[in-house]
Amino acid sequence: MAVRRIDVRERVMAKNDELAAEVRRRLERHNLWGLNLVSSPGSGKTLLIERTLENLGERLSIAVVTGDVQTQNDADRLAKRTSRLVQAVVTGGACHLDARQIMKALDEIDLSETDLLLIENVGNLVCPASWDLGETAKAVLFSVTEGEDKPVKYPKMFRESRYAILNKIDLLPHLDFDVDKAVSYAKETNPDLQFFFTSALTGEGMHEWYEFLEALGAEA
Amino acid sequence: MHEMSIALEVSRIAQDYVGRDEIHRVVLVGMDVGEEAGVEVGSLEFCLEAVLTQPPFHNVRVVIKTVPGDVLLLAYLEIDDGRPKN
Repeated sequence: MAVRRIDVRERVMAKNDELAAEVRRRLERHNLWGLNLVSSPGSGKTLLIERTLENLGERLSIAVVTGDVQTQNDADRLAKRTSRLVQAVVTGGACHLDARQIMKALDEIDLSETDLLLIENVGNLVCPASWDLGETAKAVLFSVTEGEDKPVKYPKMFRESRYAILNKIDLLPHLDFDVDKAVSYAKETNPDLQFFFTSALTGEGMHEWYEFLEALGAEA
Repeated sequence: MHEMSIALEVSRIAQDYVGRDEIHRVVLVGMDVGEEAGVEVGSLEFCLEAVLTQPPFHNVRVVIKTVPGDVLLLAYLEIDDGRPKN
């Protein structure tokens, strides 16, 4: 039998990237910032968003899309902090959100009544780095319980992110964690990273985070 | 399971190229995977072998070439179209 070769040269992510571009266009039409929050599991994304909704909810209309492998637990937690509908995406085993899921979630959100979109990605520092969701920027969250070398262990995620949030800083007195070293590792990977140092639990450093989000929301 | 999503997408793209009939049998799938693509090559190979089992795929061999950067391409397919060799 004759075996022939067909050159395909097609990017595997092309379909996702096409949908991500459409998400981006929708956000831009409403002058809306979409922030994709990425981290390993347990870094405190959900608590950070809960506090953000509590503190900014009256001044900014924040829409949230939250992804989890199983359960709607995070969405249920967040729904208690906002009058807006929280869009839950249960990925059913997949380790990341994709642009199709965000597109579908946006269909349920009134973007004209929204000042800011927060996307809580699945807790994973590898896969979400490869999937463009159409966000305006990624913000990578890591916590002081995780080790300073997270940025060099997961360089793609830190390289793809515009912002970094070092969370749980209230625990610093109890840990042997070198903040300067963590920042230096991160900047080695991505010199343009803008840092926030927060404790979503105690509120330390959250003021700067809120101010930053308010400025983004004001653009809408 | 990031690599499984990629394998399913590769299957979709390949089927778009050759159709789903049994006339054209895909016998080899060639991919270019960047060193910084965030993909574990062994795992992708395993997922592709697990996914590409139904027509038009037939005893598929997977060839993955590691390349610089974050490229992730379905580079080529080899197809047995059932015609005798010239």
